[in-house]
Formats: sequence, structure tokens, C-alpha cells
Amino acid sequence: MPSAPSTRSEYCGNVHADQMAEDFPVVTLDSDARDAVKLLAERRLPGLIVVDAKGQPTSVLGASQVVRFLVPSYVQDDPSLARVVDETLADRVADKLGNLTVRKLLPSDPAELPVVNHDDTVLEVAAIMARLRCPLVAVMKDKEVVGAITASRLLELVMPH
Amino acid sequence: MTVIALVVFVAAYVLIATEWTHKLLAALGGAAVLLALGVTDSEHAFYSHETGIDWDVVFLLLGMMIIVGILRRTGVFEYVAIWAAKRAKGSPLRVMILLTLITAVASSFLDNVTTVLLIAPVTLLVCDRLGINPVPFLIAEVMASNIGGAATLIGDPPNIIIASRSGLTFNDFLIHLAPLVVIELIVFTLVLPRLFKGSFAADPERVDDVMRLNEREAIHDRTLLIKSGAVLLLVFTGFIGHSAFHIEPSIVALLGAGLLVLISKVPTRDYMSSVEWQTLLFFAGLFVMVGALVKTGLIADLAGWVGDITNGKPLLATMLILVVSAVLSGIVDNIPYVATMSPVVLELTKTMSDPAHVHALWWALAAGADFGGNATAVGASANVVVIGIALRAGNPISFWEFTRKGVVMTAITIAVAAPYLWLRYFVLA
Repeated sequence: MPSAPSTRSEYCGNVHADQMAEDFPVVTLDSDARDAVKLLAERRLPGLIVVDAKGQPTSVLGASQVVRFLVPSYVQDDPSLARVVDETLADRVADKLGNLTVRKLLPSDPAELPVVNHDDTVLEVAAIMARLRCPLVAVMKDKEVVGAITASRLLELVMPH
Repeated sequence: MTVIALVVFVAAYVLIATEWTHKLLAALGGAAVLLALGVTDSEHAFYSHETGIDWDVVFLLLGMMIIVGILRRTGVFEYVAIWAAKRAKGSPLRVMILLTLITAVASSFLDNVTTVLLIAPVTLLVCDRLGINPVPFLIAEVMASNIGGAATLIGDPPNIIIASRSGLTFNDFLIHLAPLVVIELIVFTLVLPRLFKGSFAADPERVDDVMRLNEREAIHDRTLLIKSGAVLLLVFTGFIGHSAFHIEPSIVALLGAGLLVLISKVPTRDYMSSVEWQTLLFFAGLFVMVGALVKTGLIADLAGWVGDITNGKPLLATMLILVVSAVLSGIVDNIPYVATMSPVVLELTKTMSDPAHVHALWWALAAGADFGGNATAVGASANVVVIGIALRAGNPISFWEFTRKGVVMTAITIAVAAPYLWLRYFVLA
């Protein structure tokens, strides 16, 4: 039987993804977009795990992706135009999200799914986050989502107190 | 050697036209094969004005790319476009006319791709305010850009190539092509309401949304604007005063770019990111391939053949070049087309004694290639860029939606150019 970790770095080396995972809300592809955005905003989440009808994760809806969806493409192409418009972004949110589902908020090109196995180490989780530039990964055990790890949770574990 | 040069050139051309590989790979690959097989060599490829890379073209483009890269940071283009939309008082037709005219004028001084990259976001904003479909506006603007670009030596890359090969100056383009472009734009403006019939219905209540836009906010660095404006003025003075200063346009552009970099203090990474290195290398590869055709005598043979079929009649040769250039430029990018045809036209002009007829041939090539870019969705780089912007904004433009309008507009512009060339260089010369 391995001895208990004596230092923080040893602890981080031994801890597994399921020990780091926290309960995390999930939404389906057909969930109402406004409800999903409300959830992100009220709980200040970095993203949401999106699952299909069978409960299998299909994507992560990052908060930054929602922001990108809300900002008109012409302002993204030419940021100086943001200054010439007198309205606030808030004026557009209700219009842009009206009658949409979460599916519409996701990028048209499906990105690689940010998932880790329940027994992956901190470094493996960090590697996935860094490679996919995703602030949130879903933790899978027996083909089921058992929670999620956010970038801030991961940093909390690796930073010395 | 002649057969090898021809086979490699045709293969590279097919790859460029079909986009089976990246066009840069095709051009550099073709040049590499010709150099490796000894069809051409470093002396001919890098040091000869007739058979090698045209460094005047490459460095003129480089200088202008740096100047435009800094100029676009000032926000002056957005200011003018929004100011014009407000002057149109929200009338969609008036908005389209003013924005297309601004695009055409800007295109004659900036390259077409930069111009549409600047005008498209403003257009999407204005159409969004008015609650109307932006697609007709974007198509009209890219057409105006291709027409306006023909007006000056620096307006469209084919013109830069033609100027370098023919020895025609900035002022020659202003005197000979700019009047044709003005006529074309008048006709274009008259045609717009019919070409885009049914695209101008807007809710009058949304006009206020346009009028509330604050164009002054677009300019956030007045000092940079003043510096850029002053340098641009100096550069155009250099272009126009070529006969007095005897400084080539490429040198003027490079000196202007250097001066602007020095006084603007824009970070190196920022202005260098506006340089399209792939385009410059594409030009280099093309010049090596075309140079090999010149070196092997193929271009002289082709020019002789064109001379034979036109029976030495300058008017017939002019009209043939105009129409063939328009058709082929709609199918393949007009840059490789003009790079290939310029030496052919140069050979043809050697057989002509009347300077007016020499001019007619060059202007036919420029007008045909520049206006022909409007014919299809892939006829010019600016068309492809606008289609990409429209797609990202959720307003896709199909190949046929563009081409239906493009073919009509190209036919009209060529129909206007033909009598202009005939009258100016044959009847009134």
C-alpha cells in the first residue's frame, strides 16, 4: 500500500481527476439558449458541459464562445466599430438568443471534446486544458460524466498556499 | 527546353486555377522545377528585367502594404463610410451608391482586398441598423472595388505588372484609364437599381438607428491620422512627379513606408503583419515561370501567332485582348493572367509604329483583366474575401448568386470599354 503523500507536490502527483472533479451543471443540445446563458451568468461559470439525449458529453460551451456569439461579426472584424455604436451589448442579448437552442451557440466546426478519464493525473488534466485551450474539462467514468474540473480548480491544487 | 517550360507552366497554371494545391505552392514549385532542370538559371531568374523576378512590382507592393497597414489603424475609412451612410439619410439605394463610390475611389489608391476588408464590416453594421439584407451591398461593393482599382497604377496588382513591363507611368494610368473608370462608375451607378432590384426596402423607423452612429468615435488616434495623411500625400506626389523626380514608384513606396514607420512608431510586428508575404512570393514564382517562357522564345512565338490571327490590325488585336482578358480573368486569377500576357503584349507592341495603338493594347489588357475579375465569384481575390466575410456574418453568398450579377456587370463594363478604346485610340487619335 503506498504511503500517504507528505508534501503538496507529492499530493498533486497522486491525486486523480475524479478527486479533483466538482459537481457541474450540464445542458443538452436542445436546451434553451437563454436558460444556458443565464446559468453561466448567475453562477459565473467558465463554461457548460453539453450532453446529447443519452447523457453523453458532446461539447463544452465556453463562456467566451457565448460572448463571441453575441458580438456581431463585423465588430469582431473591425473592433473600432464598437465605438461608433451607441447601444450596449445588453440591448442585443435578448434579441440574439430569442428562440435559440444551445446547439446554435456552439461553433459550426466541432472541436475535440475536452474530456479526461477519472484516473488521469493533474498533469494529464492540465495537458488537455492547455492543448485545447479550454477552461473546463469533463471527467468521465464508465462512459458517464462524474463531474468537471475548471482551470481555477486545477490552479488551486497546484499553487502553493 | 521549350517543351519542358510549357508543360511545367501549364501544369502550374492548372493547379492555380483549380486550387488543387495552394497557389503559392504551385507557383514556387513550378519555378523550382524550371530552375532545377536548367530551363532558366539564377542570372535569368534573379537579375534580368526581361526574364526574371520583377523586383519593382514586388517592392512596390511591399511598400504599399506597409503604408496601408498603418493607415488602416487610423479609422479614417470607417469615418468616411459612416458619414456617407448618414448623408444618405438611411435610404438603402443612396447608401449603396455612396458606399460603392467610396469603395471605388479607395480601391484606386489601396489594393482591392484591403478596401473590401475595410468597407465590408461598416456595410454589415449599416445594413444591420436598417434591418436589410447586406448581400447585394457587399456584391456591389466588391464590383465597385474591381472597377475602381483599374483607375491607377497602384489600384490593382495587374496594373502594377503592366506598368512595370510597359514603362507606362502613374500619370499615364491617370490620363488614360481613370476617365474610362469614371464612365464605368457612372454606368455602374445607373445599373445598380436594376441589378439589385427588390433589395432596397427598409423600415423607415430604423433610419434613426443609422443616424445615431457616431463616426467621430472611429478615429481614435488623430496624430497617426495626420502623419499617415502627410506621408500618403508625399507618396502620391512622388508617383505623379515621376517625370520630374525620376524616382521609380517602387522606390517611392518603399521610402514612404520607411518614413511612416519611423514617424508613426507603430510596433514592427504590427506593420509587418499587414504584409502579405505569400502574395509577394507568389509573384516571384510567377515571374520566374513566365521568364522561362520568354527565355525559350515561346512568348515571342505566341505574340507572332496573335499578330497573324489579327492580321496586323491593331483594332482587332485590341478588341481581342480586351474580350479574351475579360473572359479568362473571370476564370483564373487576373494576376497570373496579366503576368503571362504582359510579355505577349510587349512583343505585339514592337510591331506597331503608332503610339496610340501601343497604348490601346496595354489599356485593353488592363481593362479586360481588371473588369473581368467581376465575372465570377473566384475572378478576383477581393470577391473571395467578401464571400468569406458574408459567410461569417451569417449571410452566405453562393457562387451562382455572385456570378449571375458578375457576368452581367462584366459584359456591361467591357461593352463600355470597347467603344472608349476604339474612339480614343483609333477614331480620335
